[in-house]
Amino acid sequence: MNHSLSFSYQLAIVLVMVVIGAIAGIYLPWYALGILFGLLAYILRIPTGRAFILGLVSGFLLWAISAYWMDGQHPSSLPGRMANLFPLGGSVTGLYVVTGVLGGLTGGLWAWAGAKLRFK
Amino acid sequence: MKYIKSIFPLALAIIWTYALHNSWGTLPPLGKLMSPFHGFWVNAEAPESSELTEENLQIPGLEKTVTVVYDEMGVPHVFAENDHDLYVAQGYLTAKDRLWQMEFQTHFAGGRISEIVGEKGMVSDQFQRRMGAVYGAEKSFEGMKEDPKATETLQAYSDGVNAYIESLTERNYPLEYKLLNYAPEKWTPIKSALFLKNMSFVLASGTDDLKMTNILRKYGKAVAEDLFPNYPFVESPIIPVGTPRDFKPVPIPESPTDFIGLGSAMKTPEKDPNIGSNNWAVSGNKTVSGLPMLANDPHLTLSLPSIWYQMQLVAPGVNVYGSTMPGTPNVIVGFNKNVAWGVTNVGSDILDWYQVKFKDASKAEYWHDGKWKKTTMRIEKFNIKGKESFVDTIFFTHHGPVVYLSHEKPFKSNIPVGHALRWIAHEKSQELTTFYKLNRAANYADYAQALTYYSAPAQNFIFASNQGDIALWVNGKFPLKSYTQGKYLLDGTDPKADWTGFIPQSHNPHAKNPVRGFLSSANQSSVDPSYPYYMGWQYAPSERGRRINERLEAMSKITMDSLRGLQNDNFNIRARTLLPLLMAKLKSPTGGVYAQAANELKRWNLQNAADSQGATIFENWVSLLHDAIWSDEFAADENAPMNSPSVDRTIKMMQDEPNAIWWDNVKTKNKKENMEEIISASFKASIDTLVKKHGPIGSEWAWYKHKQTGVRHLIPGMDALSRLNIPTGGGGTIVNATTTKTGPSWRMIVELSKEGRPKAHGVYPGGQSGNPGSAHYDDLIDTWAKGELRSLLYLDKPEDATGRLRKKIILSIKK
Repeated sequence: MNHSLSFSYQLAIVLVMVVIGAIAGIYLPWYALGILFGLLAYILRIPTGRAFILGLVSGFLLWAISAYWMDGQHPSSLPGRMANLFPLGGSVTGLYVVTGVLGGLTGGLWAWAGAKLRFK
Repeated sequence: MKYIKSIFPLALAIIWTYALHNSWGTLPPLGKLMSPFHGFWVNAEAPESSELTEENLQIPGLEKTVTVVYDEMGVPHVFAENDHDLYVAQGYLTAKDRLWQMEFQTHFAGGRISEIVGEKGMVSDQFQRRMGAVYGAEKSFEGMKEDPKATETLQAYSDGVNAYIESLTERNYPLEYKLLNYAPEKWTPIKSALFLKNMSFVLASGTDDLKMTNILRKYGKAVAEDLFPNYPFVESPIIPVGTPRDFKPVPIPESPTDFIGLGSAMKTPEKDPNIGSNNWAVSGNKTVSGLPMLANDPHLTLSLPSIWYQMQLVAPGVNVYGSTMPGTPNVIVGFNKNVAWGVTNVGSDILDWYQVKFKDASKAEYWHDGKWKKTTMRIEKFNIKGKESFVDTIFFTHHGPVVYLSHEKPFKSNIPVGHALRWIAHEKSQELTTFYKLNRAANYADYAQALTYYSAPAQNFIFASNQGDIALWVNGKFPLKSYTQGKYLLDGTDPKADWTGFIPQSHNPHAKNPVRGFLSSANQSSVDPSYPYYMGWQYAPSERGRRINERLEAMSKITMDSLRGLQNDNFNIRARTLLPLLMAKLKSPTGGVYAQAANELKRWNLQNAADSQGATIFENWVSLLHDAIWSDEFAADENAPMNSPSVDRTIKMMQDEPNAIWWDNVKTKNKKENMEEIISASFKASIDTLVKKHGPIGSEWAWYKHKQTGVRHLIPGMDALSRLNIPTGGGGTIVNATTTKTGPSWRMIVELSKEGRPKAHGVYPGGQSGNPGSAHYDDLIDTWAKGELRSLLYLDKPEDATGRLRKKIILSIKK
């Protein structure tokens, strides 16, 4: 297992994951994000030590940025209401973060699972 | 070991994903809900631009193209080439804005909430079904099917709703489906029947018979009749006194034998909702325009998504604007070029209970008219989310369903156990035909004819036409009863206690073009005691009706604005009588806050204005005083719930019976309180509670802060999707009948015109869209709270250049 992946290689993996995750988001159910991240980790032979963090970062970025973008495209009172429901005291920024964390954990867990299956 | 280690993260990922894909208790499925590609983020709608946008949609089932234009309020104006397409479009467009609400309300009506929320919905579901909601809807659906036009309308509406449902994918389901984690099902015409039947639950399921029997059993008939009189001491009935009668009454049935009955015992207390309404019509000689004007504001439990959905429906033979109810075709309250109409509820007694004597535990037979008769059974199946389904048997006598058997615990404390329910809502009916015809009515004769089809819930149908007529029919199907029959629980074995027929529809109370130049209704007594039939002994308190009639009597040169003023009238007519009586008996209070409060009351202008402190003190005092007088005798035994006498009766006692035994608090053993003591003590107690709640007397005592009006989302406790603490005045017995949870759910004023278009204004506390992510979800609430109205856009054709149109949708045929 190679723990010293170059930064640019890791960045490339994050980019690939974000792009594939976005396409999956548009056409497939929400959990496809996780399964595809797992497959990517398996196919790209991402080392187990890095898989979780790369999946987490990719999932977080994808969901948090998409949520931010959606909110920008369709400004409405809904995120504020949801941020009261959860409850985040009405903080929409908090809601982006929670969204990102959920996407991140889903991506991270699956990427880790994919890597672990490859490097038994 | 190595193998387990390598599989462990996968197991974790699967468990995590499973957890986020499902709902847990009240926790929604977080993965699905929060995904920016699938979840609530998708439901956010950007505010529309002020430019007119165009869109083409293809929907199956249309015969021709339908043009729809939306105005700045989000109201769709629908132009179809035939009735069929008009109702397909109505179903489609209503679903587009309100699908979740339509389905949720019909699920509730049909006793199917536990399919969505699990076991905690079961008691409510069972209650709905035992009360015969589904049975009643099936019966009324039979009635509707007798009118081919109604059948066609219902089917077209249903097709329209389904066309919308089929166009959806999971990611664009309305928000509430994502929160509660379920999917919409196919719409069917019977759901519209369920929705209409549910209006009887909302408006005509109140029942005091059990409480009255408990009083009868404890205090005897003389006291029961003295404290619960059959006509108020002060009243201004809906049909003006002296209105000539144009019918010869049919004979009244013989009274049943006196019956005391078992009453029944139960635990949970229950609240009386402040549901009522106002409407009136004024004739041309009282208006500036010289033509009649009409106003209506139905009071219901305020909710989001809004109860009403505004629409204009245009096709050959019809051009109608008004408020529709999501779930059912046609306009319910509205106007067309020639006429306007509105409704308020009639508090007549159309629901009775019969004590049932079963032969044995099998409940296969019951005793009636000296014979054992067979019961019928109806099986109801409940599919409960997360549980095995449950099968329930409902037993029917010829009266109706036995809602609770003797050993069962009822869902609501006013429902007797071991009694069969006879209720107008179980009759075959044709309400849909009434609204179809009202939408197309051109004159008084059309209106009167439309009303002949209507059964329940009975309504005061107010009417005005541009031919100069005003009219009001107290309309519905009313059982032909002996005097006060059904005030108390009835004997199910006595055939004389049965309903034997109905008051002929043409004998229903009505008035047309009265000399006084106006007609009105506010749920008070329909008629004065000279009316030949018995309709009920208890209606809404007379205050709103008296105030409206007193104002309309005084008003002349009436305009849209002066009627708007009357809809928002905050004058406390009850205080005008009651406050001087109370102040005369109040021992002059010593101590800072009591004296301050008494001074505030003396200064009070009797207006329940939003910022009034006097209103807070008065309303709180009256409520505590009422409890102090009556709750020792009439709510003492929680196993036998009772009513307390009305405020009307209490004022009478204050005026004429200062030594009545009821003044004494029977809970204090060694002391006999008198009227002055009770009044003064309740004043102090009420000030103490206000200080405790709001601090020292001051702006925190403002009426709206105390009253706390809110418009709440239909899912209980969903505050984030509700609007709370709305600054409004009013109150339950005020014309502006805005209380904590209830209020004017739609305010409409129409000024008819001979040649041109009718001018109309309206508002409701909510918005056109049911989507909390839309600017139209609650954008009308502030206008409503301020007592303002929006001008309603009545178009002749979709091309009207008013500058108010925002969106155009062409609905075309999908092959």
